[in-house]
Amino acid sequence: MAASGIELRGVAYAMAGKAILSDIDLHLTEARIGIVGRNGSGKTSLMRVMAGLVAPSVGTVLVAGQDPARNRKAMLTEVGILFQNPDHQILFPTVGEELAFGLTQMGQTDKEARAQARHLLAEVDRAHWEGAATHTLSQGQRQYLCLLSILAMQPATLLLDEPFAALDLPSQARLRRRLAGLAQQIITISHDPAAVVGADRVIWLDGGRVVQDGPPDHVLGVFTDEMARIGGLDADADLSG
Amino acid sequence: MERNLTHIALFAALIAVLGLIPKIDLISGVPITAQSLGIMLCGTVLGAKRGFLAVVLFVVLVAAGLPLLSGGRGGIGLFVGPSAGYLIGFPVAAFVAGFVVERWQVRVGVAALAGAVLGGIVVLYAFGIPGMALTLGKSLPEAALLATPFLAGDVIKAVLAALVTQAIAQARPGALLSRG
Amino acid sequence: MLTLTSPVRIWAHSLSAWVKLGAICVFTLALMQLEGGWLAGAVALVLALAASGGRVFFAQWLKMLRPLWPFVALVALWQVWLGAPWATFPIIARLGAAVGLANAVTMTTELAEILALLTRLARPLARLGLKPQVLALCVALVIRFVPVMLLRYAQIALAFRARSPRRPGWRILMPVLLATLDDADRVAEALRARGGAG
Repeated sequence: MAASGIELRGVAYAMAGKAILSDIDLHLTEARIGIVGRNGSGKTSLMRVMAGLVAPSVGTVLVAGQDPARNRKAMLTEVGILFQNPDHQILFPTVGEELAFGLTQMGQTDKEARAQARHLLAEVDRAHWEGAATHTLSQGQRQYLCLLSILAMQPATLLLDEPFAALDLPSQARLRRRLAGLAQQIITISHDPAAVVGADRVIWLDGGRVVQDGPPDHVLGVFTDEMARIGGLDADADLSG
Repeated sequence: MERNLTHIALFAALIAVLGLIPKIDLISGVPITAQSLGIMLCGTVLGAKRGFLAVVLFVVLVAAGLPLLSGGRGGIGLFVGPSAGYLIGFPVAAFVAGFVVERWQVRVGVAALAGAVLGGIVVLYAFGIPGMALTLGKSLPEAALLATPFLAGDVIKAVLAALVTQAIAQARPGALLSRG
Repeated sequence: MLTLTSPVRIWAHSLSAWVKLGAICVFTLALMQLEGGWLAGAVALVLALAASGGRVFFAQWLKMLRPLWPFVALVALWQVWLGAPWATFPIIARLGAAVGLANAVTMTTELAEILALLTRLARPLARLGLKPQVLALCVALVIRFVPVMLLRYAQIALAFRARSPRRPGWRILMPVLLATLDDADRVAEALRARGGAG
């Protein structure tokens, strides 16, 4: 199992000269991993680096033994990303096209991809969604469509960026249930400890560095106390940079 | 690659949106459609090549029958009607506007104003006026006279395009692809 | 998104888009040469074609000609001023017949069919790097993002009005444009995450 999971060695990432991530050394192999941190702590940048959407400024990233920024085609079956805002993720006017796109990217013909998209929708009792316009779906439905389009490509790992942030409570419960049943490795990024309860491992990121890394009970306990302490202070006036 | 493509597609959508929104009072009390402003901005913000392609994409979709032109118009009929010249000139107008901003290395706002006037007015009218002359059975000077009432509005739009481009250069320098 | 294709299917829907586009080209060129009785015949032909679609089709067809009225009025006033009011008729007849036929083609051709035709016409451009599947992806993105951006515009306008007694004028352009630029970056990222633009 030398080449399994996501491995980051001495990773740093800077944008326009400003350090976003520094000294990240992680080997992520657990089935359910949570990454918590405040807004601006570098969580989303870490996700981009792990998925190979951007290359690190320093250090090495390996996903299943390969560089994700270079081997984009190989990454399609390794990493699937659920972006925070479904409106930035949905590329097509109709549900059927959206689902089929990833499949054609993986080499299927249009016809095969459309057929499999229909099949996938039927499996989750949503066959009637196929021709529906994506912009008419509700927020929860759009998020669900994004998840379906990723799952269609059967990646080994799912990266979820604030998956519950914009959902109402019933939609959150449905998404949690759906995620719990998945065989994939799931890495959830959130500012909210509740989103990563039940993970095998939790990593707390602050100022672009790993502050804590360990079992959820411990890390989330310390994290929650610290967040409460900061919230108690009446000084949020520092500007970053 | 992906970034070029999404900028081209989203700016083509922006031209449509600017034409479809309820007319905004660009200066109080004078409602004008912002569609040709969108054409100018494609050039001044995206640059010559990407701006040209974004507008081509928009014009192709209008031709294909999507009601994206101001007032919800679309279809091939537009290309044999009085506005044919303008539609064909749109991409060239964006190209020229972008070319000026790319090549004339003065303050972005100044270059954008020059580009918007040269592309969005001079070049666009050079296509639009012969189009009107041909479809309305008029001589070129007569058609030019028909186009003059729109000049004032277009000058205002060129100034707005310049202001907005300048503001983007300050707020988000990396996003101004024409000076990237 | 709503297209201008007529929901009423008529015989012309089953004609090939190539034939219909060719007909527009030939007809429009011919109109330039036609005079008098021949011109009247051409107008009658277009009217007959539109009427063959039935009442609903014909009403929609007439509605699509509406943007021409200002030009009709303008040309008429002009000719009256020149002292040759009768010259209005051939000018308007040519314009109306050409636009009328082209509109009828738009109404009887599915969007997908025209797009397939245009993609075909753009095929020589593949050598310059414009692949057909890239064009198709661009078209899909525009159709997807027009409603998204209209909604975004409405939200920004609402946010403006919530804090200002004035109507949002040109000031709203800046946030709308910045939102578009940021969206383009995010969407590029999502596209890259799913295998890129090929």
